[in-house]
Amino acid sequence: MEKFKQIPIVRKIGFNRIVLVVVMILMYIFFCVGTKGNFLGYERILSALNYAYFLGFLALGVTFVIATGGIDFSIGPVMFCAALVSGYCLTSFGVPIVAALIISVLVGFLFGCFNGYLVAYWNVPPFIVSMAGMNIAKGLASVFTKTQSVSWPQLAQGGWFRYLVKVGNIPVGFIIFIVFSIICAIILNQTKAGRYILSLGSNKEAVRLSGVDIKKWEMLAYIICGTLVGIAAIFFVGAYTTVQPGYGDQYNNEAIAGCVMGGTSMAGGLASIGGTVIGVLIIALLQEGILALGFTKDYQLIITGIIVVVAVYADVVARRRKN
Amino acid sequence: MKQKSLINRLGGQKFIVLLVVIALFAFFCALSPDFRKVTTFIDILSKSYYLIFMAIGVTFPLITGGVDLSIGTGLICYSLAGGYLIVQKGVPTGVGILVCLLFGILIGFINGWLIAVMDLPAFLATLCTCMITRGLGSICSKSMGICWPQNGTPGGEFRSIFKIVVNRNQYPVGIIWALIVVAIMAFVLNHTKIGRYTFAIGSNKEAAILSGINVKFYHIMSYVISGFFAALAAVAYSAVFTTVQPGTGAGFELEAIGGAIIGGVSATGGAGSIEGTLIGVFVICLLKTGLPFIGLQANWQQIITGLVLIGAVLVDIIKRKKEEAV
Amino acid sequence: MGEVILTMKDIDKSFPGVHALDHVNFEVRKGEVHALMGENGAGKSTLMKVLTGIYTKDSGSIEYEGREIEFKGAREAQDAGVVIVHQELNMLGHLTVAQNIFIGREFKKGIKIDDKKMNEEAAKLFERLHIDIDPTATMSDLTVGKQQMCEIAKAISHDAKVIIFDEPSAALTEAEIEELFKIIRDLREQQLGIVYISHRMDEIKVITDRVTVMRDGGYVGTLITADCTKDDIINMMVGRVIYEDPKTQSMVAKDAPVVLKVEHLNAGRMVQDVSFELRKGEILGFSGLMGAGRTETARAIFGADPKQSGDIYINGEKVEINSPQDAVKNGIGYLSEDRKRFGIVVQKTVAENSTMATMENFMKGLFINKRKERAAAQDYVDQLATKTPSVEQLVVNLSGGNQQKVVIAKWLVRDCDILIFDEPTRGIDVGAKNEIYKLMNRLASEGKSIIMISSEMTEILRMSDRIVVMCEGKKTGEIDISEATQENIMNMATREIG
Repeated sequence: MEKFKQIPIVRKIGFNRIVLVVVMILMYIFFCVGTKGNFLGYERILSALNYAYFLGFLALGVTFVIATGGIDFSIGPVMFCAALVSGYCLTSFGVPIVAALIISVLVGFLFGCFNGYLVAYWNVPPFIVSMAGMNIAKGLASVFTKTQSVSWPQLAQGGWFRYLVKVGNIPVGFIIFIVFSIICAIILNQTKAGRYILSLGSNKEAVRLSGVDIKKWEMLAYIICGTLVGIAAIFFVGAYTTVQPGYGDQYNNEAIAGCVMGGTSMAGGLASIGGTVIGVLIIALLQEGILALGFTKDYQLIITGIIVVVAVYADVVARRRKN
Repeated sequence: MKQKSLINRLGGQKFIVLLVVIALFAFFCALSPDFRKVTTFIDILSKSYYLIFMAIGVTFPLITGGVDLSIGTGLICYSLAGGYLIVQKGVPTGVGILVCLLFGILIGFINGWLIAVMDLPAFLATLCTCMITRGLGSICSKSMGICWPQNGTPGGEFRSIFKIVVNRNQYPVGIIWALIVVAIMAFVLNHTKIGRYTFAIGSNKEAAILSGINVKFYHIMSYVISGFFAALAAVAYSAVFTTVQPGTGAGFELEAIGGAIIGGVSATGGAGSIEGTLIGVFVICLLKTGLPFIGLQANWQQIITGLVLIGAVLVDIIKRKKEEAV
Repeated sequence: MGEVILTMKDIDKSFPGVHALDHVNFEVRKGEVHALMGENGAGKSTLMKVLTGIYTKDSGSIEYEGREIEFKGAREAQDAGVVIVHQELNMLGHLTVAQNIFIGREFKKGIKIDDKKMNEEAAKLFERLHIDIDPTATMSDLTVGKQQMCEIAKAISHDAKVIIFDEPSAALTEAEIEELFKIIRDLREQQLGIVYISHRMDEIKVITDRVTVMRDGGYVGTLITADCTKDDIINMMVGRVIYEDPKTQSMVAKDAPVVLKVEHLNAGRMVQDVSFELRKGEILGFSGLMGAGRTETARAIFGADPKQSGDIYINGEKVEINSPQDAVKNGIGYLSEDRKRFGIVVQKTVAENSTMATMENFMKGLFINKRKERAAAQDYVDQLATKTPSVEQLVVNLSGGNQQKVVIAKWLVRDCDILIFDEPTRGIDVGAKNEIYKLMNRLASEGKSIIMISSEMTEILRMSDRIVVMCEGKKTGEIDISEATQENIMNMATREIG
């Protein structure tokens, strides 16, 4: 095993990521066998991908926040809030679709600013901000839509934004998601923002004493997260039809699960976009597979919960060993 | 010795929050004639019991510097499990309640074990159990809403624990129980080892370990208490509301935690009181029930609760900053 | 003075690379106050940690109350009656005084904690010590001095027979010290053995009966306090041969321009009215004992901690420095004494750490120019002879000395004109030490100005052109290298303040 880890190509890709890919393939095989081949179809894969898009954007976003050593579990409800507010503008105020999409991103962005400002400039514990943000997002969405669900138009009704997800049977969404992942990876690894976000997650005080405006960069991480959550909303409504106020919490856990499984450390300072992408694909496949095996959504919740616990514990153990 | 101000002698933040409760009450009374009715008042009380219980429980993890996010969905889960046994399997109500309470203790123990022994961050561990209990609840009840036995039907007597109806007059006896529980838990928090060490963990965990305290045990205990009270809240919830729906409950924890923090529990641990929590919960309850009476949707309460929570934490942070500057 | 209660004989203890205790002898009698003195790093704290079982000794014996013992930890020592009153207070700020004193062994009445009895017992303790503290007060509301008294009360409540005070007066006001002395005298009356670790020469003379001096982990000697002078003690503390050649005269031209001028700097209790000048190409040594306020001064200048008042001039112009950002903009670099916490970002590479303060010079549009970054880092790895397989190595994998070089590289990449080196060679082996000395000399000769804070006398005498001495937050002296001796520096560092 140690030898295998030393092979150059393995080191380049990262041992953990290879393990994750293997896990994903095994899972796929398991589901195919478990459903007596039902899972093999292209349809199923497309369906899993639909789930992966919005979840992927959420996970990309929260990766930045976790990299700073913080947390944001308001992302699910904020995504719903963005989808509801923009959808309501679209269906009730008749704004053009482009404008609605921009509004969606804007809502996410504003929540990101709000959360980031409180955490970075006021030192409010991130979990408190998340909790408050979650409720404000839910409340705002319900108030804005008068507690009605919102249906985004289908393709036949001029819902061209659905092409963002799928043209015919071509998963355009997957391409867009990968493009965004690459952009995020570049931001995280190749820009000043990413450098400072990761560094302050590892040792805030050392970065401050290097003369860096840590508050600005910490807030930026939350803003990036919020914006990506806004984009996630677009892909949610692009793949599904109706959005109901009052929901969205379960996606927090799934996004965080994807993130942590991919090797992003809850203690901050260590993050991998590539890992997050694979992690999200696994989670999406898992959700789809559980349903395909004939279990209800409830089992999804439980299994994801257990996965997060295990992944975080693995991170805790890894850190303990290092010290 | 520092001269204590009048407000401090009356209980500091608690006193101010109590004034807020009174002011809110007066405000809603003044604006809405419907709010002034006795039935409304009883309704507010009835809907406050489960929140009071949850908030009392979560006060313990909060004081240790942690948090328990699983109490909201946990409440629904325990209630569904107990209710399912009573309604579908025909076990006596008492046994159903017992199962409900044991379930809460079990989940609380798991939380505590993950946090104290396995070293997971509290919000993450309990976020996971939050999801898990939501799933378990639905599975227990086969995704159906559960109605605990109604008043007047066999096994429905437990509802009279919280509200007695005599000749169409309602008596909210639940508040007496709530106050007794508050008194007991205030005693536990202030006068027993469990409470003392809960504070010690939140104040300076390292020093607590060095003092020879079995920190892991007491740390777990704080989550067990939280789980137990979530289950107690489940009983109160089942008694007051007609149906318990699977998939709900998310958001209750925020109301409870918000109430506790408004009532003076420090978001970073080490400080807090049961009386304060009780008063804080009433702020949330009044907002929740009062807003619709003045023509605002109930959902405004969610937004306001969120903002009030942040406001309360900010006050705490600013206060500490000032103290440090001296 | 009564009979001997505690004897430590031939105690030897080594850590990897350091001979921390070299056959040390020490004894305490009943009813005496025995001072333990020595410079920073002389081994006093290590000796006490060996005594209380926090460290295990390599050889030697400890005899307590006529029996040979070896405690397995502070708690066992405590139960046997040997208690340390720590420098850093170990308290639970949210609890009351009485609750703190009896934490972990509360009195109980059934399941109820008997707070009333605890308060009474605490009050009795305070009465015995003649201290006026309300047992029901919240710990964090008390002054540091009162908190210390509570620690003492806690120690006594353990039925202590030997109490060790580790620099108890460091954080106390004059009045509080008086009160502390009164307590210590009382305890002496009650036939307790007291070990008193302190740097304050005047206190030693006032309160102690005997003095044991340690130097570089070795035992130097024991004196009867009443029979010796302050100079005797100082001579014993510093009387080592200096192997590395000290500087004999300043390398700085008399007319070199002043690059940094600090006037009447005040920042908290540890920095009071500090003024000094730093010239171009100068290495200005900051000497003083632990807790003299040198690091605090540096942090205040650098904007890392808020300051109350004071002006800073750079090249004759007044500047506003309120955050490290301002300081860095003004060309100041700060090498912290605590590398791990304030210097390096361990999970990042050598290259990434090197450019931490200078990102904007390594950008190509929006992106980091990694090739340029690596080249710059490699340049300094070569210049400083940093031992690392590559600049892509994570800093966590380097040794202490090489980590230090990476932090130095960070500021050199920035091309800072003023460098503050806070204990630059702490925890670094001898070879790396010499390299860092060479580097500092080279930097100074290139026209950089360096403030070097150091607790090692040899380092101060070897490197500095001029020396500022601090004591208890105040500047107590300034001396040119040509006139500096160990004795006169130590004199200023332990000066009594009237």
